[in-house]
Amino acid sequence: MKNLWIIMPVLLMSLGTYAQDSLSTYSRQAAQNNISLKPGDSRFMLRGYYHTGLDAVTSEGETDYNFAGGTIAPILMYKQSDRLFFEAEFEGAFEDGEFEWGLEYADVAYVLNNYMTVRAGKFLLPFGTFMEKLHPAWINRLSTRPLGFGHDGIAPTTDVGVELRGAFHLGDVKLNYQAYVINGPQLKDGSEEPDEAGMLMFGYMADNNNDKAVGGRLGFFPFSSSALEIGLSALSGKVGDKGSRFADVRANLYAIDFSLVKNLSFMKSMVDIKGQYNYSQIGNANYKVPEDTTDLFYDFTNTSNSYYAQVSIRPSFVSNEFISNLELVGRYSSMDTPEGSLWEQSPTQLAIGLNYWIDWRTVIKLGYQTTDGLGDHDSPEPITQDMFYIHWAMGF
Amino acid sequence: MKKLSVITSIILMVGIIGYVSSCAPSAKITAKTGAQIWGENCIRCHNPASPSTFSDVQWDVATLHMQIRANLTPEEATKVKEFLQAANN
Repeated sequence: MKNLWIIMPVLLMSLGTYAQDSLSTYSRQAAQNNISLKPGDSRFMLRGYYHTGLDAVTSEGETDYNFAGGTIAPILMYKQSDRLFFEAEFEGAFEDGEFEWGLEYADVAYVLNNYMTVRAGKFLLPFGTFMEKLHPAWINRLSTRPLGFGHDGIAPTTDVGVELRGAFHLGDVKLNYQAYVINGPQLKDGSEEPDEAGMLMFGYMADNNNDKAVGGRLGFFPFSSSALEIGLSALSGKVGDKGSRFADVRANLYAIDFSLVKNLSFMKSMVDIKGQYNYSQIGNANYKVPEDTTDLFYDFTNTSNSYYAQVSIRPSFVSNEFISNLELVGRYSSMDTPEGSLWEQSPTQLAIGLNYWIDWRTVIKLGYQTTDGLGDHDSPEPITQDMFYIHWAMGF
Repeated sequence: MKKLSVITSIILMVGIIGYVSSCAPSAKITAKTGAQIWGENCIRCHNPASPSTFSDVQWDVATLHMQIRANLTPEEATKVKEFLQAANN
């Protein structure tokens, strides 16, 4: 047994030396043959992102510490030709102690001409920019999402359908557009979750009625440098179940987004300002009072809104490498859900963070976030929740 | 009435496509290099990747992905791809 402990390291070292030697030989041969040793000689790519870290959440005087990191998002990409492209993102996460895979999106795209690309399948909805472009952990400058996005949010995430998108220049100005037809969001009628009656559900594969939702986004770059983009989005469709008394309830959603990325040469820094305003209007409907046996109903004006504004600054052009990798970020967000609904809430949130970029797609995030206001629908009382976190996020 | 709105939409769409096709980008836009487009556009969402990150073939895939996701025109995407592949050698 003792001999084995001596033999094993020697054996491993010998194998390592042999492998290194073989690799060196191969490298020399490859260099001679002018062959690139960089990985990937097919038009199939596996990419994705992952994050892990420690959260400390304080609420009502108690602090919970939790290691986070049970979610991974691999992305598959395949280029069939210069016009045909496929992409899919999966999300693996622990749910109730069991690991489950979900499909974030999977779509096929075909470039029709210089101005039009058609996409079909399940795709991230271009409703503003946060969910389509900014939410991945290695892109999002903070470890949390702004209020209004994600679970119990008011902004749509993904859906199934067909989309036409493209971009073109008119002189110095650049415009981009996306227009889509999708199955559409669905209305929670309160039969399964009475406390959430009147909320919308996003990202479902099947349609609950024959009325397809339509929507789109128009993005506008007023300057030739592409530094500033302003976008307008809308989505409209019936959301109630076919044949139910909610069948004619329609939802109209709107968003305005803003992005400015600018080199501040006097500060040797890049500044990135982003924001999005979401507005949701759902047709009036009567919902059954929970736990009532006398068929009592209630209604409310079903409008919600949320917004966020975020500023980050990174001294990318200073000579000190450590300082050039630091980034300071601040974000303010707010959300108001319908007064009189059982999911009424009106929190505001301030988040600040200090990031260190190890490379262009790997970042250590240190942050603090405080949330005040009327809490989530599980506890519709005034709340204050503070959160400290340190996260490590990487794209791959 | 429904037919009329469908016909109007089609005419409107054809008109817009015709108008857009007849408009040209300014000389300032067409003179942009791949490096310039790469520097201006990638950073709108994420830090720009070094050309050495991927192989030439992988850049071929990644730039088509970004052409679609980030709404680059095919001309912009081609210039960025050629820059990244040239800088990668």
